[in-house]
Formats: sequence, structure tokens, C-alpha cells
Amino acid sequence: MIEAFQNLFSPPRHMILLVVAAWLGLSLAERRTERYGISKEDINNITFYGLIAFVIGGRISYILQNLSAFTKSPLGIISINPDLFDPFGAIVVMFIVIFAYGQRKQLELWNILDALTLFFAVIAIGLGLSHLAAGTAFGLPTELPWGIDLWNATRHPTQIYDTLASSLILVLLWLFKPSPRSGVTFLIFASLTALSQLILQAFQANYTLLFGEFRQEQILAWLALLVCFIFLESRLKPIKNQTTSE
Amino acid sequence: MNRTQRIILYILVLIAGASWIVLSSETGETTAVAAAPQAGFPAPDFTLKTAEGETYTLSELKGQAVLVNVWATWCPPCKAEMPAIEKMYNEYKDQGFIVLAVNSTFQDNPLEIAPFIEDYGLTFPILLDETSDISRAYQVRSLPSSYFINRQGIITEVVIGGPMSEALLRTRIEEALK
Repeated sequence: MIEAFQNLFSPPRHMILLVVAAWLGLSLAERRTERYGISKEDINNITFYGLIAFVIGGRISYILQNLSAFTKSPLGIISINPDLFDPFGAIVVMFIVIFAYGQRKQLELWNILDALTLFFAVIAIGLGLSHLAAGTAFGLPTELPWGIDLWNATRHPTQIYDTLASSLILVLLWLFKPSPRSGVTFLIFASLTALSQLILQAFQANYTLLFGEFRQEQILAWLALLVCFIFLESRLKPIKNQTTSE
Repeated sequence: MNRTQRIILYILVLIAGASWIVLSSETGETTAVAAAPQAGFPAPDFTLKTAEGETYTLSELKGQAVLVNVWATWCPPCKAEMPAIEKMYNEYKDQGFIVLAVNSTFQDNPLEIAPFIEDYGLTFPILLDETSDISRAYQVRSLPSSYFINRQGIITEVVIGGPMSEALLRTRIEEALK
């Protein structure tokens, strides 16, 4: 079954899974956006501008990191190669554009993030499936019965672990009663995602060691979890003269 | 849940997380050993001949950065990227870069290969995969498929589909040459 899935969505077709996830995620987010004080029109605009910023930002960031290659081949700037892309730069630019849109429309950033949480949660599922189709983000060799044959070894199906964890987070978010405090929905999603990565990165075959023995990815997930908890507590802190239904 | 209970929960989760990092720090392999067509693995070895009968063995090219490009004459993106590959080959060959263009001969018309090479003025070795062994070893599902291999014989990047632009080739070749 996994082999059939991988044949159907083998690269570069695995990108289709991300596009479908983005569409489904937006449809889900649209259904709940008004709970967070964001209109359907605004959430559509935010997603539209955010995705454009993601694509352009990822390319610009990649160009800046490989300036000499693009100086010699300037036409590469507008090349259709999806590999000329820096995902971290893309995320940063996307958040800047979302923030700028919110400022212009006088929308609070925390409300925007809350409204987009279901979108992010579905994208995380799409990302896991896309890794499964491409055979990337693969796991360590294992003798466990649920191991999958990949790259000449039976390995932990880390892509399936990620997809299941993301699906569970989506279900929890769907069942979660929205908090009257803005930002809490998003911070719960971010905390659960950081926690799942902290656990699951232990089974990944590709990792960078920090201090000679610790996985950098796990340490980053732990730090993200800490930051999420700090923000979460600050969002939940009682505000003087404010009545809430907590 | 009140504030004290939440803070206790945060601390417990963070301690459990830190413990998990320590527990999982000593497990697993640090490098992939078996050859596989994936970034980070040693490139699967092969020996193939050109139409002129010259033999190339991938493992004998250790010390050079290699681009293994699997292609066919009927494949439009393969055609589109050939001029860029030829240009980059000429630009970087003096630094120890070589292109092994593996024609999927088993699914191509052998009579069209020579005119193709002439039309595009290709000077790098064109190898013939008549038995599909290389396509199977490299798990080729789409054409073109390109594998950038560093001087140690480790795959640094896999690019499925095309055409690859000059800028993409340049960044991947420079990475493989490091």
C-alpha cells in the first residue's frame, strides 16, 4: 500500500499533497475564522498574500544565500525550479506579510494566528504525507514489525509517525473549545507540534549533533516548547478589570 | 486548571522532554552505510559503456564531483536542460567535476542518441543503460532524474524532474565540489 502511494505521488508529484493540504486547511479555517474575530474575506486575503509571500520570500532568501550563482546566471531568479527555495526564509517573509496585513486592517496578530491554526495543522499532515511519498525525512533502521522498507533498510516509518501525530493534533484542535483569550488556540497547536517533534525526532535518521551527542532538532523543539509555554502563560494571565468566562 | 497547576504541568513536560533528549542521544546510527539513491547515502555503484565502447565505473571517479543525469531523447525537460548541463560541465570540469549522462536506452530509440548528442553538442560521457539496471538501482520514477555526488562518493542532492536551470546546477555543483 505504501509502495502504491509512493508510486502515485513520487517526486515531483508529492507537491500535489501540499497543495491539497493547503486547500483543505483553508476550507477548515474558513469555517471557524469568525470565532476569532476574523472575517472569511480577511482569512482568504491573509492566506492568499501569505502564500504569495511564502513563494517569493523563499526564492529571495535562496538567492541572497547563493548570490554568486545568480550573479553568473541571473535568469535563474525567475526559473521555475522549486528546488531554488529556502523554506525558513519563506516562513519568515510569510509571517512579516501576515503581520503587515493585520496592522493595515487593524487585526490583532494573535487572532490571525488563531484563525489560521487549522490551516497550519492540515499543512503539517500534508507535509508528513509528502515526506512519505518522496521518501525523505526517513527513520533509523529498526527491527520493529511496523518498520517500512526504504533506502535499503527496514526503517522506522517516521513520516507516518509525523502524519499520525499531526492528525491527532488536528482532531484535538477541532474538539478544543476556543479560549476567550486570543493566541491560546495557536499556542496550544504550536506546543503540541513542538512536543511531538521533540519525541519523534529521536527516530529520524538525519540529524545534526550538538555538543557531540544531543540532536539539535530535539533541542530546538524543546526550546520552542519552552517559548510556547511562556507565551501561553502570558496569554492566560488574568488581566485587571477584565471579565472573562475562564 | 489554575496558574499553579499549569506551571507545574509546564515544568513536568519540560523535564520529561529534556530526559527524552538525553535518553535518545545515544541511540541510532550517525551515518548511512548502505548505498541508496538518496541524499546522505553513498551513491550506488555502476559500470556502463558509452556508444563508442568506453567504460565508466562510478566508484573509480572518487575524488571528483559527479552529476549522474538519467535522461531519454524523447523527454522534453531532458532536452531543455542539456545546454545548461553542457555549459556547467565546461565551466567546472577543471575543478574536478564530471557529468555521467545515463541514457535510459531500454526505453529509448538507440538510433536517436547519436543525432541528439550532435544536435546539442554534448562533450561529457553519454552512457547507455540498456538493461535498466541503473534505473532500478537509482529507483528512477521520472525523467530526468539527477544525482549530485561529492568527492567522497556521497549523494549530496537529488533533483527529480526538470529542466534544471543554470543557477540550480551551479549551487548544487559547488556544494558537491566542497
